[in-house]
Amino acid sequence: MPTAAVFVLLAVTIGIIVIVVAKPEITMARGGKILAFIGLFIFPGFVALLGFDNHVERSKKTTFCLSCHIMGPYGKSLYVDDPSYIPAAHFQNGRVPRDEACYTCHTDYTIYYGGIRAKMRGLHHIYVQYLGKPNNPIHLYSPYNNRECLHCHEGSRSFEQGAVHTADPQTMVDIKSNKLSCLSSGCHDTVHNIPKLNQVKYWEPPK
Amino acid sequence: MINSQELMMAKRLRLAGILLIIGLLVEAFSLLWNHPLSFIAFTSVGLFLLFCGVVVYLFSLLQYRAAEERTVVEDHTNV
Repeated sequence: MPTAAVFVLLAVTIGIIVIVVAKPEITMARGGKILAFIGLFIFPGFVALLGFDNHVERSKKTTFCLSCHIMGPYGKSLYVDDPSYIPAAHFQNGRVPRDEACYTCHTDYTIYYGGIRAKMRGLHHIYVQYLGKPNNPIHLYSPYNNRECLHCHEGSRSFEQGAVHTADPQTMVDIKSNKLSCLSSGCHDTVHNIPKLNQVKYWEPPK
Repeated sequence: MINSQELMMAKRLRLAGILLIIGLLVEAFSLLWNHPLSFIAFTSVGLFLLFCGVVVYLFSLLQYRAAEERTVVEDHTNV
């Protein structure tokens, strides 16, 4: 549900509660009891659920991830003017939605998605960001899983019939079973490449 | 005439309402800011206040109902 709709419901709920708080005697009548039940129980629960859902949706946004200072260089790397930079090429060519770029390739890396461990990691990131000392540079907990690439590339002609991918029948099997990493096997190994960010040109998106 | 039960009910309704309004305001402010801290504020403060408000309201209903039943029993006994 759009945030504006949540705000409308919030305002309506607050309005009902204000009426009940200002004139609690209305709850002596049947209509007042129903109004109080709606305003003090049904609507707050509903609005809380909508608020939670809205926060979850917003957590997918690129701006959400980049709101932590430490993620700044990763956001900058999306604008590198070099097609060998995998995230930049995906971001600039619309292969991933620009406003959900981080989430699209790191689905197991947030508070809200993935298993319990992923959620605990998300909370740990917030803790470390504000109360601890983040690793410098930051790194993935586990090697990047081909699953994230295959979400989109599996079944596509350029992937399934690519010369290198089909040169040896075992290659495709190994890629799909995550035995042969897309990123660290020497094929698509230029990713965010943070240490080199001050040596590259940047793309300026048209306004 | 307002009896003591109704006064107590009104007090609890006010408390529940105030907790809920503050919780809803926290939610509203958290939705204005797209940041991990706004999520933390929403879940730790906003949801907690909303939960407390709803619990106080439900508790006030239970207490009022119990008091009403007591009054009915006492009336029957007096008769």
